[in-house]
Amino acid sequence: MILERPEEPGKKYALTFTILVHVGLIAALFLGVQWKRSPPEVMNVELWSSKPTPATYVPPPPPPVQEVKPVAKPLPKVEAKPEPAPTKPDIVVKEEKKQPKPEPKKPEPKAEPAKPEPKKPEPQLPDFSKELARETANLKSRPNTQQIANAAAAEAEQRAASNRRGTEAYATKIRIKIRGNMVQPPSIQGNPEAVFIVDQLPSGEVLKVDLKRSSGNPGLDQAIERAIRKSSPLPKPDDPAFFQRSLEIKYKPFEE
Amino acid sequence: MNVTQDLSILHLIINASAVVQIVMAILAGVSVMSWYYIFMKWFAVRQARSKTEIFERDFWSGGDLNSLYNSAVNDRHHAGSMERIFEAGFREFAKLKGQKNLDPKDVVDGSRRAMRATYQREVDGLESHLAFLASVGSVSPYIGLFGTVWGIMHSFRGLANVGQATLSAVAPGIAEALVATAIGLFAAIPAVLAYNRFAHDIDRLSIRYESFMEEFSNILQRQMR
Repeated sequence: MILERPEEPGKKYALTFTILVHVGLIAALFLGVQWKRSPPEVMNVELWSSKPTPATYVPPPPPPVQEVKPVAKPLPKVEAKPEPAPTKPDIVVKEEKKQPKPEPKKPEPKAEPAKPEPKKPEPQLPDFSKELARETANLKSRPNTQQIANAAAAEAEQRAASNRRGTEAYATKIRIKIRGNMVQPPSIQGNPEAVFIVDQLPSGEVLKVDLKRSSGNPGLDQAIERAIRKSSPLPKPDDPAFFQRSLEIKYKPFEE
Repeated sequence: MNVTQDLSILHLIINASAVVQIVMAILAGVSVMSWYYIFMKWFAVRQARSKTEIFERDFWSGGDLNSLYNSAVNDRHHAGSMERIFEAGFREFAKLKGQKNLDPKDVVDGSRRAMRATYQREVDGLESHLAFLASVGSVSPYIGLFGTVWGIMHSFRGLANVGQATLSAVAPGIAEALVATAIGLFAAIPAVLAYNRFAHDIDRLSIRYESFMEEFSNILQRQMR
């Protein structure tokens, strides 16, 4: 004799309360806890300030300077890299900032090369004159001038992407140091580019140097590799966030 | 280098890995069910207690057993557990009493067995879903922990691809993993509390039923003479 069980009481109430409890929980999570993080504006500021510091680094490299060549040639070469994206322009900027030293620098690459093709000079010359004008006018406006050389669009982008700027500054530091340690072999045809993959420790020490794309000149490849190894420890970025364990380093003998 | 600026909980849930999301979905479902049962049990136990009190008052106020029985039968849907136990025992007693060649002891035993059967059914009904609450209470923290461990494993693996172990590289991953533990605990804590509370309440109720059965058997035995 099984009696039908009476309905469990309060099903509806139970359901209502359940929903209430969970709505309360969700509301508490959304409103009660401040999950928002203040935007990292501090980082931006540091990036701006980081620009000058790489400039100070620039001077050291000059030592290997060979000031033999006339100024005329160096100028074209400075701009020699229209393609090489944003990184190379940075170099240019920094060098120019230190007006006294940069000029000696530029000569160096040319002195040795003597081979630089006439191709590049044409487009670069106008850019350089612009930059000179701007430099004299305003030291701070440098970044803009540099960007103009690349593209007008790049300017806006650069402002937005402060990250990239930091990486560029970092890359420039590295490149400058390596260049300072570079001993160019005498016979180089054209301006071949070599690409290396470099693994580094957080301290900047170079772990491994792999040749990714040869310049076509084994002697040059080896010289570059030696320069990279000699540059260990590599300079550290101003903001540790830009540190990268593995770097891709593109090297052109006469880029400056 | 892409720093997640918006760590809102929704963001965390959406960005979590699939396993963590599944864990969170399971836990959310479990939490809803356990809260539903908690409230249902709460109402049920409260009602059972108040009906028991009413019936005990009626019973011990010295009313006629037959009229009590009649009201229990007529109002079966609103009868409490104790009333049903009484009804089952009295019905059996009435049936057996009519038979000539039965020992009085057997009659009382028979009605007591009937009462016990009803008692067990009633307690079983009261205890239904308690096991669910118990297992939610004990298991859901582990499910949440699993989700968290999985999520943290994920975010550490992602860390290997970032050069420098900055806190901002791991923090979002760990935060979203921890949401799983939070949900698990949110389901478990009330479930454990409710389980202990209800188990205790139901124990007390069943002790009341049992003592009532003993006392009622005595009354029946006295009636046999």
